[in-house]
Amino acid sequence: MSTQTDETQTISPVASEPSRFRPSTRGWAIRLVVIALLAVVTVWRVATVQPLWADHISLAAIFAIIGLSLNIVLGYTGQVSLGHHAFVGLGAFIAAHHITERAGCAPEEGCIESSLGTFSVAILLAILSGVISAGLLGMVALRIKGLYLALITLTYGFVAVNSIFEISSLTRGGAGMPAPRPATFFSDHKYMVLCLGLLGVCMFIDWRFLRSKMGRAVLAVKSSEAVAASYAVNVTAYKLMAFMLSGAFAGLAGALFAFRRQIVVAPDFSFSTALLWVLMVVVGGLGSRLGVVIGSMFFALFPFLIQLVGFLNDFLANTLQRDPEELTLVIGPFLALLTMIQFPGGIAEQISPITRWLGGDRFTMHPEGKHHKPSLLQRRRAKKQGLEVHDDAELVATKSEDLLRDAAGEPDAASTQTMAAVDSSEEVKS
Amino acid sequence: MAVLEIRDMSIRFGGLQALKDVNVDVPEWEIVGLIGPNGAGKTTLFNCIMGLYSPNSGTVTYRGRDISLLPTHRKVSLGIGRTFQNIGLVRELTVIENFLLAQHPRIGYGAFGGMFGMPRTFLEERRLRANAMEVLDFIGLAHLAHSKLGGLPYGTLKLIEIGTVLATDPDVILLDEPSSGMGPDEAHAFGERLLKLRQTLNLTVLMIEHHVPLVTSVCDYVYCLNFGQILTHGKPRDVASHPEVVAAYLGGEVEGLHSEDDAEEVADVTS
Amino acid sequence: MRTTIVSAVLVVLLGLGLLVGAGVENGPNPFITLGVMNGAVFGLVALGLVLVYKGTRVFNFAQGEFGTIAAYLLFLSINRGWPYWVGILVALAGTVLIGLVLERGVIRPLINAPRINVLVATIAAALFMIGMEILIARIEPRSLSPIIAAVDSSGNPNGVTVFNLPIEPQRLIALGVLLSLGGVLAWFFSKTDLGLAVLATSQDAFATRVMGIGIERMSRFIWVSAALLGAIAGILYVPLTGALTPAVMTSNILIPAFTGAVIGGMTSLPGAFVGGIVIGVVQSVGLWAGGHFTIGEKALQEVIPGVEQVTILLVLLAVLLSRPQGLLGKEA
Repeated sequence: MSTQTDETQTISPVASEPSRFRPSTRGWAIRLVVIALLAVVTVWRVATVQPLWADHISLAAIFAIIGLSLNIVLGYTGQVSLGHHAFVGLGAFIAAHHITERAGCAPEEGCIESSLGTFSVAILLAILSGVISAGLLGMVALRIKGLYLALITLTYGFVAVNSIFEISSLTRGGAGMPAPRPATFFSDHKYMVLCLGLLGVCMFIDWRFLRSKMGRAVLAVKSSEAVAASYAVNVTAYKLMAFMLSGAFAGLAGALFAFRRQIVVAPDFSFSTALLWVLMVVVGGLGSRLGVVIGSMFFALFPFLIQLVGFLNDFLANTLQRDPEELTLVIGPFLALLTMIQFPGGIAEQISPITRWLGGDRFTMHPEGKHHKPSLLQRRRAKKQGLEVHDDAELVATKSEDLLRDAAGEPDAASTQTMAAVDSSEEVKS
Repeated sequence: MAVLEIRDMSIRFGGLQALKDVNVDVPEWEIVGLIGPNGAGKTTLFNCIMGLYSPNSGTVTYRGRDISLLPTHRKVSLGIGRTFQNIGLVRELTVIENFLLAQHPRIGYGAFGGMFGMPRTFLEERRLRANAMEVLDFIGLAHLAHSKLGGLPYGTLKLIEIGTVLATDPDVILLDEPSSGMGPDEAHAFGERLLKLRQTLNLTVLMIEHHVPLVTSVCDYVYCLNFGQILTHGKPRDVASHPEVVAAYLGGEVEGLHSEDDAEEVADVTS
Repeated sequence: MRTTIVSAVLVVLLGLGLLVGAGVENGPNPFITLGVMNGAVFGLVALGLVLVYKGTRVFNFAQGEFGTIAAYLLFLSINRGWPYWVGILVALAGTVLIGLVLERGVIRPLINAPRINVLVATIAAALFMIGMEILIARIEPRSLSPIIAAVDSSGNPNGVTVFNLPIEPQRLIALGVLLSLGGVLAWFFSKTDLGLAVLATSQDAFATRVMGIGIERMSRFIWVSAALLGAIAGILYVPLTGALTPAVMTSNILIPAFTGAVIGGMTSLPGAFVGGIVIGVVQSVGLWAGGHFTIGEKALQEVIPGVEQVTILLVLLAVLLSRPQGLLGKEA
């Protein structure tokens, strides 16, 4: 321990941030060349893609936005939403309804292209619908300690499917609500560019969200609500804001979903889809923007990718006589379970050596310094301090989080519900 | 006038009377100690002051203003900082990010401005980082700014936590067993550090502490809590030698009587 | 004690409801009766949910699919020409096996992981089962015959008639099974070491370890019982719906069962039991109200489709907002 005291006694003369590893000029040059090469190849491949695949890529971008939306709930706030099919579906129907019924651009009246203005308004309305429904549900669910958001959103999802999506003035029943695209984005190619562009916007917002006061506050809340409050974070408000941002992304994804097919039918949004969306975020890597985008795109494109593999496609079509999409429902959960049990961190962690290197770090397969096993004495000291020592990590204060909860008065699971009562009464008082 | 006045604080958990009519005054620029055996209700009192528990009765007054019913985050914004018995830091964030989090109430951009990446947010973040480095430098941990919390020793984490509480810009800080996990030497060094902090930053401190030498050497006034009630209060040495306090501690930790040397040493540093 | 009082109050309310209902033309009484019967199935699934929640502190989203899998196993067995009782045995054994595999392969490796991971794992398990059902049995609806046919060979209805509503034998069996299972569980949790240990875990996991009952044995027991309860619910319920489709139990039963468990306080077994029946009645009354009341010219259910689903959401929100610890949950 004495070494540590020495450490704390060292006072650096100037208060400047300690320098991190930065690559040399040549190092930067190599990285830039690789990034540029990747970018050029991607842009070239995407720009020259067949219309059919442009449509597939649009779907992939929409899935990625949904993935980012769920990542905010699951990865940042540590809750689960099982009703995202309802948020996305509501957004889709609201957007389509605005174009067809309110702006009067119905295909039966010969209107094939909507105007850019109504199109934009439709998208904004869809986003708003997501924000509002997320806000209303969150106001109830996020007040209660525990994972009740999962339960309430699941129930809301069923209400949406059985009730809201059955309102014929909103959905035109089984025939579906048409949603014509505007001329600007009419071809599948142009529409793909729009979807990818909006995915870029969402990624930017997600990045700034995490790197500003909102993200820090939300991560603190996830870690411990008592600690977050002690840093002056309004716990309920920030949970709610995060969930509303998630709703906004979901609503946007819904609108894009509507205009992709140019018609919305209720069966597009089933609860099993919502569950699959949750799992694609897990496979991508909770909390990792790039991982989530890759994971979501993989789940969206999986049925089409299978068709590219000749023998697999033959086997499915002729021997099993099954649709590749049906296979997603088996492979997806399997991958998710495998991720959780064997590879926590998901795709993001698997590719992290490369992404970290591109971002200007050293290339290492063990970014967290996990190759350093703690020395004998380090282990002894850690034991004395009541910390747990993991074989593959350095010294990890595993217990501190549990202890934190006790210390902070967040009770153990057993008394969670009574505390919830205490909490809600507090909110009322304030 | 006292900065923080706690009046008639009582709370029950089911059949357990955890606090009963507790009165504590924390005068300006004093370090007030709160001692008592395990389970006496010390941390519960902190949680009641901060509003993490809702007490059955009692008021908290801060500079003459009744703040009993304010939610925790508002109290912190007013200038009451608090540490936890077992490290109130966010493990997903690096050391410096914890300091940015701690400045939450004083960030010069809105949540939405930050989300949409307004140019102002970048400038403001730079200012926050400078503030954070200033505090880190002050507690002598500037070199750890970009470290993850996972690998750091317990004592360092406790120090970082005190640093983050300083970063919330408090007037009063409530410290929950700051010297736990420290050896006698470290605890002594910590005491000096605390006095220096009070001196330079004009802090008022309410501190739960088990380490009696530290209490006697640092505190201006001490309350002893036992079974949820104030057993006695007064000058550290009087309280430490009070027969009921000795009985409450089963005569265990009253070696504070013999640590006068320590106390004088520290007193030299302060004056 | 509390349980007895609340149950008694609910029974009195139910009786009053039936009395008042008798005075209304085309009244809700047949629906209330039906609700009690459906509630029996909700109660069964809710029992499984509460068991898992007590043991692992997570909502088990795979609970409904245990039932669907059991129903498919029964269906496949009958299709092969095996007798019904053999089919039931196959279904129960198969589902228990799945429960064991799930516990050993998924839950136990995650025993020290955050609760949210375990919760997501149960979601993955549920979806995996749904995917397997689609892959093996196809998405088309199948029909599964009840244990005793609703109509005998000469076309007369079997079973009894209450409030002019013929009650199929299957529903009576469901009610009977729920009541007897309730009795068995009550005995189990008050008289056996294992049962007491499970009760104790929800209070204090450490105490259980001290009692010398291995955490692994308990986890295995909890998941096997949950699978068994789910399977029984599936076998009893699916023949009543007329259509066996993938995920049928998750979409029809899981949410009312969860709501029932929440009403009961999520950790109380008798609470789950009572809560299930309460939510069965509430849902049925919602269904009746949807057809009975009108807004302007239109029936309520045309204005608000799926009134019964909306009712359940409202009950869930109301309970969580007013009494998060449930009607039968422990007091502070």
